[in-house]
Amino acid sequence: MSKSILIVEDDKWLAENYSRSLVSAGYDTTISLHAIAAIDIIDDIHPDAIILDVLLTGSTAFTLLHELQSYDDTGKIPIIICTNLASELLIDNLAPYGVNKILDKTTMMPDDLIAAVKSVLL
Amino acid sequence: MSATRGEHKQSCEGSTLSGLPSLIVAAHELKSPLALVRQLSLLAESGDVSPEDQKRMLHQITLTSERALRLTNDLTKSVRLPDALFTLEPINPHQLCEDIIREITPLYKAHDRKVRLVSQRRSLLLVANRDLLRRIIMNFSDNALNYAEGNDTVEINIKTINSGRMVRLGVRDYGPALSIDLLKNFSKKLTVATTPIHARPQSSGLGLYIVNQFADAMNGKIGITRHHDGATFYVDLQASKQLSLL
Repeated sequence: MSKSILIVEDDKWLAENYSRSLVSAGYDTTISLHAIAAIDIIDDIHPDAIILDVLLTGSTAFTLLHELQSYDDTGKIPIIICTNLASELLIDNLAPYGVNKILDKTTMMPDDLIAAVKSVLL
Repeated sequence: MSATRGEHKQSCEGSTLSGLPSLIVAAHELKSPLALVRQLSLLAESGDVSPEDQKRMLHQITLTSERALRLTNDLTKSVRLPDALFTLEPINPHQLCEDIIREITPLYKAHDRKVRLVSQRRSLLLVANRDLLRRIIMNFSDNALNYAEGNDTVEINIKTINSGRMVRLGVRDYGPALSIDLLKNFSKKLTVATTPIHARPQSSGLGLYIVNQFADAMNGKIGITRHHDGATFYVDLQASKQLSLL
């Protein structure tokens, strides 16, 4: 059965691109354009991993990270942060929030996303 | 002697050119469209997409580049504003907004969204500089495109206020509501705007800072009305007395 990936990204075109790459690599994807809607989707589909932008419409990724860490089941979902602010974030500071990887949108290649998802699902 | 990281940040933020906000903020604001253009280009040239998808991506690259260029043009205009000579003239807001809608409809369509004008057919003329006013409404419209949700149509509305002495041009989106704290912060910052003005959490505030400068140059004011399902960003400008003199 295909692994399910939730993409939380408020730029619809970028989210669709992530989705296209992941689907071609054999994953099922769901897109959420903001963090509040993502919480409902996570309850519904229980994704195997989440790709998360930092600056989102309505509230930031950190609100979602706090929410996910509040529950045993959601706290274990691996998170890949995908952001323009990568140079300002340290994985060591975010690891306690379930963040496994940080990708820099400004330098990443389309295959990097697939590699990151593969590595967090090992 | 080299500056520490903290000192560097302070000096960059302090190095304003005629009130120009930090170069860091401007750079950050341009990162998003550039990152998107790069991702789209990489995929389009990968050969893994259908000709139809490739065509769509090229169209998205064009539209994203145009948005980024609008921001850089506004930024340049904002820096030169204190020394610029520009005319204030009576303008038909209905006609101006119709022109803007024609211009932004392809961008909205590419995002599966709609924009429409809500106005009386015979709006009062207002006093403004056509170019600056156009930039303000375009900026609000770009902003609304980012925050609108679902299939709701973004509305550009025109109405008279203050017993016909002022004309309000607003752009109404149907997205997440603004928090009260953000709204209060926004109102306070408008009165002393020497730094970017954040109206929504993920915004760098650069766009609002710029349009506030433009409105100020035309003796106008910008503001936000908070709705439970979105926001209206507006600019108030003096109504023209041209017709009353006839």
